[in-house]
Amino acid sequence: MIALWRQYLPQFFQGVGVTLELTALSLLVALLFGFLLALARLSGWRGLVLGATVYTEVIRAIPVLVLLFLAYYSLAQAGIKLSGMTAAVVTLGGFYATLYGEIFRGAILGVDRGQSEAALALGMNRRTVMRKIVLPQAFFTILPPATNQLSNLIKDTSLVFTVGVTDLMFQAYAASSATFQPMDMLLLAGIVYFVFYLVLSKFLTRWELNVQRRRG
Amino acid sequence: MSNDVVVDIKGLAKHFGDRVVFDNVSLAVHKSEVVAIIGPSGVGKSTLIRCVNHLHPFNAGTIDVLGYHLQGDVAPSKPMLRELRSRVGMVFQTFNLFPHLTVLDNIILGPIEVKRLPRAQVTERAMDLLAMMGLQQRAQMYPKRLSGGEQQRVAICRALAMEPEIMLFDEPTSMLDPELVGEVLEAIRRLAKQGMTMLLVTHEMMFAKDVADTVVVMADHTVAERGPARQVLESPQTERARAFLRRVLNPGLSSDGARRQRGGV
Amino acid sequence: MHVASLYASAIASGALKDVGLTIVSSLIALLLGIAGALARLYGGSVIGGLVYWYVELIRGLPAILQLFIIFFGLTQFGIDLSPVAASVLWLVAYGTGYAVEIFRAGIMEVPTGQREAADALGLSSLKILQKIIVPQAWVGMLPNLTSFLVLQLKNTTLLYLVGYADIMYQARLGADATEQPGILYLMAALAYLVIALVIAVAGLRMERRAALYR
Repeated sequence: MIALWRQYLPQFFQGVGVTLELTALSLLVALLFGFLLALARLSGWRGLVLGATVYTEVIRAIPVLVLLFLAYYSLAQAGIKLSGMTAAVVTLGGFYATLYGEIFRGAILGVDRGQSEAALALGMNRRTVMRKIVLPQAFFTILPPATNQLSNLIKDTSLVFTVGVTDLMFQAYAASSATFQPMDMLLLAGIVYFVFYLVLSKFLTRWELNVQRRRG
Repeated sequence: MSNDVVVDIKGLAKHFGDRVVFDNVSLAVHKSEVVAIIGPSGVGKSTLIRCVNHLHPFNAGTIDVLGYHLQGDVAPSKPMLRELRSRVGMVFQTFNLFPHLTVLDNIILGPIEVKRLPRAQVTERAMDLLAMMGLQQRAQMYPKRLSGGEQQRVAICRALAMEPEIMLFDEPTSMLDPELVGEVLEAIRRLAKQGMTMLLVTHEMMFAKDVADTVVVMADHTVAERGPARQVLESPQTERARAFLRRVLNPGLSSDGARRQRGGV
Repeated sequence: MHVASLYASAIASGALKDVGLTIVSSLIALLLGIAGALARLYGGSVIGGLVYWYVELIRGLPAILQLFIIFFGLTQFGIDLSPVAASVLWLVAYGTGYAVEIFRAGIMEVPTGQREAADALGLSSLKILQKIIVPQAWVGMLPNLTSFLVLQLKNTTLLYLVGYADIMYQARLGADATEQPGILYLMAALAYLVIALVIAVAGLRMERRAALYR
C-alpha cells in the first residue's frame, strides 16, 4: 500500500494544488458576492431586497451538483462555454455566496442596536457607522461560522471531478481505477481531506474562539 | 418547633478544583423550624441548600435528611436519592417551571410520575393548591403567560403537590420585580405558619427577621454566625456578621445585598 | 419543450426514487442518531469518544469520497454492493453522523434548571429525558431536522455516480441522448427545488404548532 501511495504521490500533490486553487478562487467569489448579497438584503430597497432574497433561497435549495451541471452543460448549450474550472468557481462561488451572505447579515443584525444608535447620536453618517462601529464588532462573530463553511467548501470542491477538473478527488478516482486498489487510493485522498478539515475545524476555530473571548 | 432534627449537616465542605466554595459547615434543622441563610453573594448559600437534596454533590462531611444519609465524595444510590427528593421540595431562584407543560401539568407531573397517584386525585389537590394561591384561573395556561410572581407561586404549588416534609427555597424572590416580591413572601409566610420545615436562602432581611426562627450568616466560606433570628439580625456577635449586616442594612452604602433589594438583578 | 414533455415522466420517477430513499435513510439515521447522541452524552469516555470520532469522520470527509469508499473501496475486500445497497448504506452512515450532532445539541440546549427542577421532584433519569428534556429539545431541533432532510435529499444527487436511477441519472441520460442539457438540468433543478420547498413548508408548519408554549 505504501509503495503504491509513493508511486501516485506526484499526481496527488497536483490534485491537492488544484483543490486548493479552486477553494481559494471560489472563496474569494463567495465572500465578495456574499457581502453584496448581505448589503442588498439590508439595504431596505424593495427591489434589491427581493432580488437578493429570492436568489439566496432558490440557489440554497438546489444541490451543488445540479448547479454545476447547469453552469457547465446547460450554459454551453446556450452558447456560453465555460471551462470546467471556471464553471466550478462560478458554481461554488455563487452557491457559497448565499451561505456567507446569511452569515454576514446575521452578524450585522446581531450587533446591538444601541451601538448604532449611540454612533448616530454622535452625528456619524450611516456609512461611517457601518464601517467604524458595526462591521468591526460583527467581524469576530463571523469568523467561526465562516471557517465552518470554508471546510464545507473544501469538501464540496470534490464534486468538480464530474466535469473533468483534475482535483484531488479526480486523481484518487483515476488511481483507483488504474490500480484496482480503490480503497488504498480513496483512503489516501481521505487522509488529505480530513487533515484540512481538522486544521480548520479544530485549530482555527479554537483560536478564533480564544480571540473572541479575550475581546470580551 | 420540636426537638427532632430533620436535617443534620456536619462538617460539610465543597470545592471546585482549587476554589473553596465553603468549608466546615455544620447546621441542624428541627422539625417545623424555619432557617434563613443570609450572607454576601458568592459565598455558597445556594450551593449549600442544593447539597441537602444532592443537586450538588459535596466533597466532605455528612448530611442526614429525614433519615437518609449523604456522605462527601460518595455517590448516593439513585433510588434512595429519588425517595429523598420526593420528600424534600425545592423552589428555585429562576422558577424553572417546565415551559412545555401547562400550569396544572407542571404541578401534577411529580405526584403522577414519582408517587404513582391517580390523576383525578392529584388534579383535585393541585386545584386546591392553586386556589390557595389565588391562581385557579391560570391552571390551563403555559408558564410563559404568567408574571414572575405568579410563576414562582406555581413553582411553590408544584413542590407542595408532592406533600414534602421539608421545603428548600433558593433566593425565591431575587429574580422578581419589586412589586411582585410581596405575594411570594406572603405564600412562604403562610407555609411557615402551617408548621412547614424550611431552609431559605434570601436577601430579604426584614422577611427573615419576621418569619425565620433561626438565621444563619455565611461569610468567608463558612458559617459566621447562627442563632435566633432577632438576636442575630439586631445584635450580631461576630465581626463578620456585623460587617455584612452593616452593609446590607444601610441602604446608603453600596453592597450587593442592597443593590438587589432595589430591584437591579 | 418537446424534450421536456418527453423526459418529464423519467425525471418524475427519479424524483420518487430520491424521495423514497431520503425518507427511508433519514428515518433510520435519525433513530441511530438518537442512540448515538445518548451514547455520546451519557456513554462514558470510551463509547462517547468513539461516537465523537465517527461524527468527525463523517463531517470531515467529502460526501463523494464516502460514497466511493463504500461502493468502490469495499470491492477491494470482495464486498460488492449493488447501487441501491451502497446508496442506502452511505445515506444512513452519513445521516447518522449529522443526526447525532443535532440531537446532542438539542438536548444540551435545554437549560440546566429544567433538569434540576425535575431532579428535585425525584423523577428518574429516564422520565426526565422522556417528559422534560425530549419535548423541549424537540422544538429547538425542528429547524435543524428540516435542514437535515434537505441535506439528505441533496445528497441523493451523488447517487447517479454509482448507478442509482435518481433525478440526476435520468437528467444525464436525457442530456446525453438529446444533446439538450439546458432544459434537462433545469428540470432536475426544478424537481429538487419543489421537493425542498415541500420539506421547508412542512417543517415551518410543525415548528409553528410545536412552539405554542413559547
